[in-house]
Amino acid sequence: MAASRNSRRLVHTALLALGYALLAAFVLFPIYWIFTMSLKEFGDIIAYPPRFTFVPTFANYTEILFGTEADQAGGVMPDLLRFLRNSVIISSGAVLLSIILGLPAAYALARGEARRANRARFTILSFRFAPELAIILPLYAFYTTTGLYDSYVGMILVHQLITLPLIILILMSFIRDIPLEIEEAARIDGAGPLTILLRIIVPIARPGLASAMIIAFIFSWNNLIFGLVLAGGETRPITMGILQAMTFDQIKWGLMAAAAMVSAVPGMIASLLFQRQITRGLTLGAVK
Amino acid sequence: MRSAASGKGALAGGRAVYIAMLAPALCLLFLTVVPFLDGVYTSLTNEKLYAGVTRFIGFANYLKLAQNPTFWIALGNTLLYAGLATLIQIPLGLAVALLLDVPSKVQWFFRSTIALPLLIPPVVAGLMWKTMMQPQSGVLNWLLAQVGLPPFSWLSDPQTALVSIVLIDTWLFMPLAAIILLAGLQSISGEVLEAARIDGANAWQTIRHIKLQALKPYIVLVAMFRIPDALKSLEIIYATTRGGPLNATRTLHVMAYEEAYRWSSLGRAMAIVFILWILSYVFSTILLSLWRKEEMRFHGR
Repeated sequence: MAASRNSRRLVHTALLALGYALLAAFVLFPIYWIFTMSLKEFGDIIAYPPRFTFVPTFANYTEILFGTEADQAGGVMPDLLRFLRNSVIISSGAVLLSIILGLPAAYALARGEARRANRARFTILSFRFAPELAIILPLYAFYTTTGLYDSYVGMILVHQLITLPLIILILMSFIRDIPLEIEEAARIDGAGPLTILLRIIVPIARPGLASAMIIAFIFSWNNLIFGLVLAGGETRPITMGILQAMTFDQIKWGLMAAAAMVSAVPGMIASLLFQRQITRGLTLGAVK
Repeated sequence: MRSAASGKGALAGGRAVYIAMLAPALCLLFLTVVPFLDGVYTSLTNEKLYAGVTRFIGFANYLKLAQNPTFWIALGNTLLYAGLATLIQIPLGLAVALLLDVPSKVQWFFRSTIALPLLIPPVVAGLMWKTMMQPQSGVLNWLLAQVGLPPFSWLSDPQTALVSIVLIDTWLFMPLAAIILLAGLQSISGEVLEAARIDGANAWQTIRHIKLQALKPYIVLVAMFRIPDALKSLEIIYATTRGGPLNATRTLHVMAYEEAYRWSSLGRAMAIVFILWILSYVFSTILLSLWRKEEMRFHGR
């Protein structure tokens, strides 16, 4: 008896270990590999067989962020800082605008009549289904005639397509979970919907607010195609900046890897700080 | 009757307030409906960037597409991509979620690192994997050689290119499936699991009869996230193969992009994109009604 239980536990542990080993190999190895690539000199990168030990260098990072002197003179390597700044402006602008407009909308949908709210929810979801080109190709003509092309305002407005539906859907589910009774007392005291929303709902739904904003930010940050079509030289986002490393005669692997790492930093910081909320938000936002 | 009563009590101020709160957001979203309709009209014209006079040509773009073998290849690739991605990522995400649900010492580490790929922009993930998939110098083939396997052509062979891209897609988005399904697993009450254990159910029976049943709405949800996104996937392909080799990875969205930017044929591009939109809409509507049914069954609302 005892022996069979022991052997069963051994099998159990071995299976778990195997599962985790496979998971680490598949999910974490590529990140590890690109991270080490970003710290390698060109010779170490192109070496075959691949080098697992090498002398780390930060040259790739300084070059993508500030450029080498020769590059700056020849205008070869664009500095990543400008792209980073553009992405920060566009993504946070989009998230802020979405919160301002999305919070009241989510409240109205959560507290409104169920059947009509369901229909509105589907309409909002359907903006997620549309292929990006279906909207941004026609928008291109509109943007060039109105001066929105290559402007932060234009980019922020088009990023609403990503951020606004996500924020409304996630917030709506969080607000739905707040019992109505909490609002009753304030209503009897004569508080209007806006006061109730700001004074009562927002403080309670704070984790939902945080997760909605982070998820929307990450999805907006990761987008390439909007920038590819609607941004010119002034507002190019970080994803386009990384892509430029590819268009040279020879792909600069080290620079690309460093740029990839830098581009993931804001999302990593946010997700480490709010990891639990992200998981909760992803689930609740969609399921409830 | 009941809904009228609850509707009245729910939002102070009634209908006017409801509309005032909802309208700005919907207005902003509906701003995109105008360009969208404009795009639908464009698909009925011969519009080209920088050239000629634009004429209304009816369904000529669509008829031409139907006669274009590349269109059918791209349609097939689009469906194959979305089908493979869903069929691989849901079971894999389920396996990972079940693994992360088992208490163990390394659980916290993997729970906090599983989401990392989601933070990498798809276009960057495409470039990263492209370097690793280089047939001669890539680390993947070196790893294969270490365990005695022959080298693989990955993205450069028409036979394997699409599957390689689905692999990249899986790396990026399987974690999303795993996170959603893990949260679903955690929503199962401990009492139910305890009762099953007392009745003598083994691990496999518990998974099959309790966990999988409870996860159904979450599985539909993952499909709802993944299928429309996989159908319109563009950025990974753009970063890796740009539709090649020999059209092996040319999906409808990539084809539309090429029409618009390589050949500046806006009319033709919009026709392709509109077909893709209909495809997403049909799939999403089916999934949404499925989802609502599962929701009703489990949560009663």
